[in-house]
Amino acid sequence: MLKVLVVDDSKIARMGVIKSLKEIAPDVELFQATNGLEAVEMYEKERPQVVFLDLTMPVMDGYEALKRIIEIDKEAQVIVVSADIQSEAKLRVLVAGAKNMYPKPINHEIMMHIFENDLLL
Amino acid sequence: MNLVFNEDQLDALREFMNVSIGAATASLADLLDAFGTMHIPKIEICNAHELASKIEATIDTNSMYYTTKQLFTGKFGGECIFLIREDSATNLGKHLYSIVTPSSEEINDAVIELTNILTSTIVSRLTQELGTQVQFFVPYLHLSDAHSIVDEEEISEYSKIIIISTILDFQDQQINGNIYILTKDEAIESLKVLIDEKIEEIYG
Repeated sequence: MLKVLVVDDSKIARMGVIKSLKEIAPDVELFQATNGLEAVEMYEKERPQVVFLDLTMPVMDGYEALKRIIEIDKEAQVIVVSADIQSEAKLRVLVAGAKNMYPKPINHEIMMHIFENDLLL
Repeated sequence: MNLVFNEDQLDALREFMNVSIGAATASLADLLDAFGTMHIPKIEICNAHELASKIEATIDTNSMYYTTKQLFTGKFGGECIFLIREDSATNLGKHLYSIVTPSSEEINDAVIELTNILTSTIVSRLTQELGTQVQFFVPYLHLSDAHSIVDEEEISEYSKIIIISTILDFQDQQINGNIYILTKDEAIESLKVLIDEKIEEIYG
């Protein structure tokens, strides 16, 4: 079963990603984290195939979490989902190893695009 | 009138604000040709007479501030306040007009320009997220000390105020400011209804 980690400090943001995700892949095993540190710890323990990662979070932000996840597994498939839509933010996360970055909120069409174009499953 | 937000409502409002700030930061990044760091928005409900002290607690009270206020009306009506410290406003003028010593008129223009983009993007995006629309009034700008930002007479008609605040932060250019969105009483009720509709839509 596909393991997916959804990381966001906002519950409604996590629910938005999960709702779109389940429309595309109803049988995923879901893990949730509310900050970057939790995400890194959960990634190390559960080794999900896909991570949806927010950037602006307390405790540890998404940039640092991305860096640490890639250090753990350079093949990690991290999709950044953020309110930060600056082109430089996207450049930074792509350089850091994210597969792609999308503006919030994620909907069905975007999730479909992610599965078809960004992920190797 | 129930003005208390539950955890899910606060979470949703914070997230909608986050998306709105993201859009505004990107617009300003284009204007300034710079990268802005985003900060997590804070939400607080207070009594109207506490507003001045709440704002003063978040700024340097020994400095002078350019304050821009812009009212908006509609189902979600209120006021957007943008504060930028005098030195930061000067940096904005220098950066925006590529000059070493901007005049006070150029600084005023730069602050107004930035505020127009900031408030219209934030409030428009926020109301778009909430599925409603607002109308904007013309913003007005003044330079004052930290203790004169809130006009007690202006807020005398309010009882409760919801403060949604965050920081504008372009570190390399040393340009930063504080953003507050104030809304009151009936608008808070309307806001809760709009948020509940969005929560229902996402949670199902």
